[in-house]
Amino acid sequence: MPLHVDAVPTAILLLAMVPLWLPVLLTRRRVPVDPAAAVRAQTRRATLILALLLGLVTLSPNGAFSYLTLGFALLWQALGTRVMGRGIAATLIGSALAAAVTAGALALQWPVLAFAASTVAIALRVGVFPLHSGIVALAERSPATLTQVFGATLVLVLEHLRFTDHIPFAYDVAPWLVRFGALVTLLPGLMALVQPDLRGYLRTATAMHGGMILAALGAAGRGHEAAALMVMLTTTFALGGLGLSIASLEARVGPVSLVARGGRVQAFPRLAAAFALFAAAGVAMPGTAGFIADDLMLHALWGESVGSTVMIILGAAALAIASLRAYAAAFLGPAVSSLAPDLNRRERTVTTALVVILVILGFIPGVLLTPADLFLNASDAP
Amino acid sequence: MLIHWTLGLAASLPFLSALVLGVRVLSGGSRPSERFAFSVVEGGLSLSLLATTAVALQFGGVLGPAVGGEVSFGNWLQLGSYFIPAVALVDTAAVALALLGAVLTLLVARFSRTYLHKDPGFHRFFVLLALFASGVQFVAFAGALDVMFAGWELIGISSAMFIGFFHERDEPVRSSLRTFATYRLCDAGFLMAMVAVHELLGTTRLAELPRVAGLPSWEVELIAGLLLLAAMGKSAMLPFSGWLPRAMEGPTPSSALFYGGISIHMGLFLLLRVSPLLAAAPATEVVGVIVGLGTALYASAVARTHTDAKGALAHATLAQVGLILAEICLGFTTLATVHLTCHALLRVFQFLRAPNTIHDAHRIGHGAIAHAAATEAPTTGVLWRYGVSLHRLRVEELLDRLVVPVLALARRLDRLDRGLRRAFDRGAR
Repeated sequence: MPLHVDAVPTAILLLAMVPLWLPVLLTRRRVPVDPAAAVRAQTRRATLILALLLGLVTLSPNGAFSYLTLGFALLWQALGTRVMGRGIAATLIGSALAAAVTAGALALQWPVLAFAASTVAIALRVGVFPLHSGIVALAERSPATLTQVFGATLVLVLEHLRFTDHIPFAYDVAPWLVRFGALVTLLPGLMALVQPDLRGYLRTATAMHGGMILAALGAAGRGHEAAALMVMLTTTFALGGLGLSIASLEARVGPVSLVARGGRVQAFPRLAAAFALFAAAGVAMPGTAGFIADDLMLHALWGESVGSTVMIILGAAALAIASLRAYAAAFLGPAVSSLAPDLNRRERTVTTALVVILVILGFIPGVLLTPADLFLNASDAP
Repeated sequence: MLIHWTLGLAASLPFLSALVLGVRVLSGGSRPSERFAFSVVEGGLSLSLLATTAVALQFGGVLGPAVGGEVSFGNWLQLGSYFIPAVALVDTAAVALALLGAVLTLLVARFSRTYLHKDPGFHRFFVLLALFASGVQFVAFAGALDVMFAGWELIGISSAMFIGFFHERDEPVRSSLRTFATYRLCDAGFLMAMVAVHELLGTTRLAELPRVAGLPSWEVELIAGLLLLAAMGKSAMLPFSGWLPRAMEGPTPSSALFYGGISIHMGLFLLLRVSPLLAAAPATEVVGVIVGLGTALYASAVARTHTDAKGALAHATLAQVGLILAEICLGFTTLATVHLTCHALLRVFQFLRAPNTIHDAHRIGHGAIAHAAATEAPTTGVLWRYGVSLHRLRVEELLDRLVVPVLALARRLDRLDRGLRRAFDRGAR
């Protein structure tokens, strides 16, 4: 199988490596950031194998081969999550099998099946309602592993936009995907308002972003590939960062309730700042990738369904309110002292890397999106 | 070329000073001194004021030929035929707001240095102040709705953070959440209008807005209505006035700047900016006039019964803001610009003096009130009006009643979701 190096897939691969390796860096501390994840998924060997497989995926110009390799990569990642619960592993294995089905369908020239299977594979991994149980359980049990899962999903979305998105069926089904995606954005957005704890907030934020990704994938069927890619990038880095922040906070203070005020901002000012930045990026704060992603997506969706655009705007507004509520409950209030330290040097490096990526993509999105748009629009049907 | 540099510096320098101070505070080591924090932000704000003045001078033709209209910085992002324009619009309204914002922010910064001396939130205050200053410059000079929305959001976030500034107490945090919720829900109108304008006109550039005259009237009314909604949220118009008295929980200098000077007028500035669109939407103009005059009446009544100095002042401000909204919707945009500028200057002064007002009231105010109470026996009508005003027409309770079913639905959905996940977990076992 000849391999081909293209700038855009290579850039996406490099970006995917960031959330993939950051939890590994963090677990080298004496106390792992996320004990549930330290068992298998975040070992260096497991991540290296996953990274190599994903590299092979992006280098291949053949859709069937790419998806087959992707199926192996996702299966490898799924097997590493078995200790966290069967539901989580079943979801991720289901996603890997869907990727393998996509490979078969592409090889047999069945584009409709390929598109459907690839969409299901993504939906399972980003937590689209009602396929969200596994991934939101992962958000609750091991936010750091969720960050890794998003890293691999970024590559999956790229392959979807490259190989299965340019078929007439994708065009025809776009309005339905957009409408359904908008609905499953709004509902978790509302649910985020009433969560009693920080992991519940992360769970609903994940499901809400899953809905946004589905809607964006729908719009991608009508030529808005860059919008879908940007939404996935924002989700990867903003939610990934949020997951790591929550994992770091809970490693220090245990589960965080949103019912009373925590008053932790003086004890953990950097952690509070990191949480605020990632949460803000997830709700389209200007100056971050989220702002551009929202702008692109709303313009893309408007053409398909005005009602869906309104639902997504309201869902995002609800999540923004929930995010401030979560920040206020976790960090504001009468100051409490803590023996645990604020973010250590390694955690600061990880946080800075994620913030820098979000800010660069927010200020100069054209660096990545302009070539990505050209590349994805030039991709041929399988 | 000079205009590009000065515009860029006016908007970016406060942001950079916030970034420098924020990174320094969070980068570890000893906490930077108050002097350092103030110097960084004051430097950024002073240079921004200098740049804004230079823009004003270029606009007035003092520094060479007069510069005005659109100033393009290219595109923020271009994907095929879709683009987000990075464009500024230099005209009288922009220069007036930018100068007003730059001068008042710098003055308030200097005032706050002493006011917040040794306050634990000193550094946070100046970071937020610089972010706000940047947001104001973005809004003032924005030549496209996308750019304006970016500044608009920066102002909203810094405003909410200022209200929750004294977060050790519960009330400021709750007030901050309430304000932010109002902002975000009303900003949904701005976002929808922005997307709609882009889809219908092919661009969000403000200079192209007069082209809406060619659109069907219902589309123009809808877009204008959405923008009016955004303006009503930001400027605390009825029925969204509930957050304004709660916003007084923040430090006095930020109250002066936000709810006396700049932020409260931002909704009005938005409407001034989109006045060609508003002029083509007569039904929305009528609604705007009714809302503006209704808010003016409401706020005047409430201001007379409010029991704290800042709250009364906030409602007095709101009464004038309501009148300015009516002026804009009646088409008196020049009058509205002058009214807005003079009003902002007066209110900032009054808010900054608010703590002294209590001292003054002890010396002169109580005597006058006692005299009035002794000579005038209130009638039933007066008492009724007093009670209604004191309870602020129960507008907040009305809005809360609308929120309750939404939260109930959210709880029901959450229970359903938990049930689904439990069933999935059992199935997986």
